[in-house]
Amino acid sequence: METKKSKKKVEGVLKKEFSRRDFIKTTALGAAGLSLSSWAPVPFTYGAQPPIKIGMLNEYTVFATEYGYWLGKVGRTAIAKINAEGGIAGRKLELHEYDTKANPAWSASMCRKMILEDKVDLIMGSIHSGVHLACFPIIKQYKIPLFSGGSMTYEFTGKDSLSLHGGYYIRNHSHARSQAVAAWKFGFDNLGKKWTFLNADYAWGHSLAREFGSRVRAAGGKTQDIFAPPATQDFIPFLQKVDPDTEVLFTAFLGSSGLGVLRQTVEVGLHKRLQRFTVICTTEGIGQEVVGKESVGAYYIEYHPRHLDQVPKELHPYEIAYRKACGVDKDGKEVGNPKVTIAGSHMYSMWIYPYMIKLGIEQCGWKDSKKNMDLIKAICSLKLKAGPWCPVGDLVMREEDHQGFNDFYISRVEPDLKLKVLERIPKEKAMYEPETDLRTIT
Amino acid sequence: MISNLAVAIMNGIVWGLIMALIALGLNMIFGLLHIINMAHGALYMLGAVVAWYVIELTGNFWIGLMVAPLCVGFIGLIIERGLIRTIEDKPIITIICTFGVMLAVQQLVLMIFGGSPRRISPPIAYRFPLFDLQYPAMRIMIALISIALMIGLWIFLRKTKYGLWMRAVVQDREMAVGLGIPVNKVYMWTFVLGSALAAFSGVLAAPIVSVEFMMGREVLIMAFIIVIVGGMGNLEGSVIAAIMISLIQGVGALFVPPSIATVFALAFMIIVLLIRPQGLFGE
Repeated sequence: METKKSKKKVEGVLKKEFSRRDFIKTTALGAAGLSLSSWAPVPFTYGAQPPIKIGMLNEYTVFATEYGYWLGKVGRTAIAKINAEGGIAGRKLELHEYDTKANPAWSASMCRKMILEDKVDLIMGSIHSGVHLACFPIIKQYKIPLFSGGSMTYEFTGKDSLSLHGGYYIRNHSHARSQAVAAWKFGFDNLGKKWTFLNADYAWGHSLAREFGSRVRAAGGKTQDIFAPPATQDFIPFLQKVDPDTEVLFTAFLGSSGLGVLRQTVEVGLHKRLQRFTVICTTEGIGQEVVGKESVGAYYIEYHPRHLDQVPKELHPYEIAYRKACGVDKDGKEVGNPKVTIAGSHMYSMWIYPYMIKLGIEQCGWKDSKKNMDLIKAICSLKLKAGPWCPVGDLVMREEDHQGFNDFYISRVEPDLKLKVLERIPKEKAMYEPETDLRTIT
Repeated sequence: MISNLAVAIMNGIVWGLIMALIALGLNMIFGLLHIINMAHGALYMLGAVVAWYVIELTGNFWIGLMVAPLCVGFIGLIIERGLIRTIEDKPIITIICTFGVMLAVQQLVLMIFGGSPRRISPPIAYRFPLFDLQYPAMRIMIALISIALMIGLWIFLRKTKYGLWMRAVVQDREMAVGLGIPVNKVYMWTFVLGSALAAFSGVLAAPIVSVEFMMGREVLIMAFIIVIVGGMGNLEGSVIAAIMISLIQGVGALFVPPSIATVFALAFMIIVLLIRPQGLFGE
């Protein structure tokens, strides 16, 4: 509402005469201000260029949420850090985040939505192989790079890569084959020659049994395969089928089934006559105190140690800074929430990707999706040195199959329920011959 | 082989009794209210989650076993009064409604409790030798509690005034109203009792299966199979069906890959439905 006082003020301004001197004075002041402003420090000019849009898909509900929580948190933190440090080539990173609901069909529609509606330039995340598989035709069609959060199906960077995703899939972390190549020998030499695989009855469980089993058999060992439904709760019908002469019981289940198989192995007393060996995926995001004393003596293959004091000394400065940024304490718990355990062997992928994207863009001068394949090639030729952006140690990307390699660790659960690293396996020992050559794609 | 068979039969019966307890509440609600309670698995999970919090506070499993069914029974009361009551005569709507309750409870637990599985330590750690293996005494105890609870439920239904009312309402609702039975109250308490039973079985199963927000999903499917095979609304049928299915899975797993043995259980359900669509013991 216009009051009498304000009305007078407006009239006063309108009636005021504007002399030539006033004009010159105002113009001069304005010009001086403008020229001075160009000298002022401008740390980051958001809006000057369009942002680089990054899509992120993770398992936030339904299944594997202990992974999704951490992959999402670390991804967001890394992107915020890149932005705080000036973005990439003067461009801000803009995040578009969606839940996969652990549902491939839903994820495919979210992938399409991100590309067509949100106009994302790149997509990263998800540990779900089915989700990635469902997204492949879409990323291939629109030529959008997809950076795997933690999918363990080795075939995705295997011989059928080109037909699966056209070379638009990048993975900087381990998978079933590299885990087997790296760790089977430790198990064979130290734990036993007769192995039984009690794994989840789907691609991941079969992959691990096949990859480890073939190497054990080739070395003269003996194997037995038992597959159980992925959400098995009562393991006694399966455990009673374990051959009596088994020396190593290798198990692979996720979530509560992963917990159940470890505990029920002890409940039926099998732990007394054999060694238990598994990948850390079975208890990622789950504290050993939750698994309980039943896990003592079990051997794990870790891709990055959970406890700070188990991380190699030379990586400590980077690891401490990485943990601080992501809100993780020295025991691998969330700061302020000690009931929440990190998915430490998986979440680092999301920390490193934004940095890899930055290096790739700076290297190839990428501006938009027209140069996506150049960007992928630049990223997949990176040889990262241990540093603040690569706290897991040196990480080598392989151009042929877009697969990354870093060190592995064999750990054992000690009586204090800590995962103690027994052996560090260098990345070179995890490498295998690439089955494809994506370098020829243009 | 004989030792393996003996273990499989024993575990089949024990696990069947645990499953029967889970299916009982579901069957009770269906038998009386004709409501297919899709939220039953979520209430089973909620029981385990509440017990986990109580045990964290008190360090006592038995207090958790007492408190959780009371809390979940109260939540059941709210669900029945607030949601089911208004739509109880529309079966399809009740399925959608209870499905919504299931999703809401799951996501609420995910927000508060988190996505990682948690553990409830078994109150009895003793294991006894059973041929080549050891068998946890905890499972036997759970089976015995299940039997005691089923006997208690049978006595409640057959020997008490409320049980008589409940059976009367199942037989003929209009006649029960005409005879002055407070049908609405009977409905309410049946839903509360069914919810409390779900919670009770959740707490008992938790030391074996771990506590997590999705723990009710698999259980719900198996509970539905048991109810269908046993006969909808037939409580004794549920118990026998649960043991039969569990035995088929357990013993079958000795001869074929265990995943195929699960298929046997489903095949058994299909055969039963083809021969007796009302279930083995349904009328």
